[in-house]
Amino acid sequence: MTGLAADRRTFLKGLGVLGAAALVPGCATSTSSPGSGGSAATGELSLQSNLSAEQAKGAMEKLVAAYNKTGGAQVELNTVASEIYRTQLPTYLTSANPPDVYTWYAGSVADSYAKKDLLLDVSSVWEGMGNYSKAMQTLSTSSAGQKIFVPTSYYWWGMFYRKSNFAKWGVTPPKTWEEFLAVCKTIQSKGVPPIGIGLGDTPWVASAWFDYLNIRINGAPFHRDLLAGRGRFDDPKVKAVFTKWQEVLPYFDPKGKSFPFQEATSALLGGKTGMFLIGTFFADSAPKDALDDIDFFQFPIIDPAVPVAEEAPTDGYFASKKVKDPEGVKKFMAWLATAEAQEIYVQSSSGTAIPANPDGKSADTPLVQKGKAMIESAAELTQFFNRDSSDALQPTADAALTKFLDKPDQIDDILKTWQAAAEKVFKA
Amino acid sequence: MNRLKTTGYHLSMGLISFLWIAPILWVIVISFRSFDDVAANGLGSLPRSFTFSTYVQAWQDADEFRALINSLLVTIPAVLLSLGLASIAAYGLARYNIPFRRTVLLLMLMGNLLPPQILLIPISRFVELIGYYDTLIALIAVHVGFGLGFYTFVLHGFMRDLPKEIQEAATIDGAGPGKIYASVILPLTRPAMAALGALSFTWIFNDLLWSITVIRSGEKMPVTPALLGLQGLFVSSWNVIAAGTVIAAVPTVAVFLRFQKHFVGGLAIGAVK
Repeated sequence: MTGLAADRRTFLKGLGVLGAAALVPGCATSTSSPGSGGSAATGELSLQSNLSAEQAKGAMEKLVAAYNKTGGAQVELNTVASEIYRTQLPTYLTSANPPDVYTWYAGSVADSYAKKDLLLDVSSVWEGMGNYSKAMQTLSTSSAGQKIFVPTSYYWWGMFYRKSNFAKWGVTPPKTWEEFLAVCKTIQSKGVPPIGIGLGDTPWVASAWFDYLNIRINGAPFHRDLLAGRGRFDDPKVKAVFTKWQEVLPYFDPKGKSFPFQEATSALLGGKTGMFLIGTFFADSAPKDALDDIDFFQFPIIDPAVPVAEEAPTDGYFASKKVKDPEGVKKFMAWLATAEAQEIYVQSSSGTAIPANPDGKSADTPLVQKGKAMIESAAELTQFFNRDSSDALQPTADAALTKFLDKPDQIDDILKTWQAAAEKVFKA
Repeated sequence: MNRLKTTGYHLSMGLISFLWIAPILWVIVISFRSFDDVAANGLGSLPRSFTFSTYVQAWQDADEFRALINSLLVTIPAVLLSLGLASIAAYGLARYNIPFRRTVLLLMLMGNLLPPQILLIPISRFVELIGYYDTLIALIAVHVGFGLGFYTFVLHGFMRDLPKEIQEAATIDGAGPGKIYASVILPLTRPAMAALGALSFTWIFNDLLWSITVIRSGEKMPVTPALLGLQGLFVSSWNVIAAGTVIAAVPTVAVFLRFQKHFVGGLAIGAVK
């Protein structure tokens, strides 16, 4: 070929080569796709993270930097917006050249990927994790009996309130359902809606009420079976949950249906509502000066005969089955399971997460210590509606619970519709 | 009476314009509020603080500079390529008696009627198969592919209406098809090209769906997914997101202001013969 004056024949020849080049990887189908941005066997691991919020992202960067100093495979952190991550995770896992390690949730959600044979068996990592609680082990085991998950931190849910407001209204944190109703009545008499909620854009917040009422009335095993498709939503026992809920419905903030939970947090802090059943992540949206005034109490006990269960959503990591360097990945995950690694993360993130490793130190604030004590004394732990079932079942709960809050007198109809919708999800 | 009419007109039009622009103003106001102000008083309240730090934060946390560069690296080649190819295709289809040209044109348009959502998985898998997954080239190719049909259709309509005599005169002067395209037809099509250019720039720049489908690395993401990255798992700093949005809107607004004249004129393309 001489310069630009390539004649027609060389041009055609060039085209042929291009075409062949395009065909070759095409024939190789999906076994391996060369050069698609991955990190093939160069002693590098890719960690796909959904922790895109400012603080959490910084904490992850610190964590990875600390590991990279220990030698071994270098980890490359790739943070993707959480909203994108949620929808793209199945695509990542099923792609020909998937990232190695992923941030995600323990329990049924992780197991649903294990059932599709997409996750790496990390049983050997667990050999060094003997001090982890039984609950953590169960959460990290797939239905096929393999360990597929490494938990690193968890948080808790509770009835949060402002100490100064409770003092002003002259109420003390209730322990039982009767006391709780009395507190609601008192707060309402002061002209404040007692129970705050935020369901606009975040309808899943209502599931916390369903979860807690169900584990308080029917117990955690029933709750788990129900969410796994081994129970029915039109069961009279489920109806009992809603009749109990009706007792407190008049105390809910009527404005709560229109704004998301973040605005509901503002309402609580501003004294426009009395209490708020929410996870500790809400603290990130609180102004710093209000944080010292915040306290919580355990969701009231309804039936003392039912073993006390708490919601403790657990976060951690799993790895793709197709990792290029399984030993390096397992070494990294074993490091993530150490108390040292979890402390690095917990200290640099928002501070309300608790290390999954029992030897790991959590933040020293009274609030976190109280939350940790509550979770450790619980007889049973549940995750959260979507984590105990699947992301596909969550919308059916959102629809049913939102409808219940609007039309509490149509429980039977709502439960029948919910059961039908759930059956469709379980059959899919 | 006449004065009353004019005042009424201006009043009502002013009100409608205000309604139109109010959400944008609201975003700008939020972008200057501090996090504690938003958290304590809610998004809807009047501002009680003023800060520029949100802009700094958005610029750094979302890495907006890199994201904007990525966006431009995708948008500019995609606009140039798709308009270039579309104008060549339209030239051929409009000015020459190519057999089945109607079918070709309809086929191209049909592709545009397909909802892009059903193509997400095939495209993501195909891009992976040819080894271009997670590259900006893949994103450019997708945008060119999707834009081509519509741009060709619009340009075809415009070129068809150019007088035949100009082309005949050029032929007599000894110009071949390539020369006619480059020196006669293309300059005459400029208004349509400018309008389409501004339109496609906004479309491609504002795209989110395709970028998250073919790109996986955070550092290769264009500005729209980067903005999404400012949203936390549970809690979002809306003031920082608002600031990021204002920054991300600058390029499209600049392009629009530059091509405004053509943009408005271009909307009427093909409307009157």
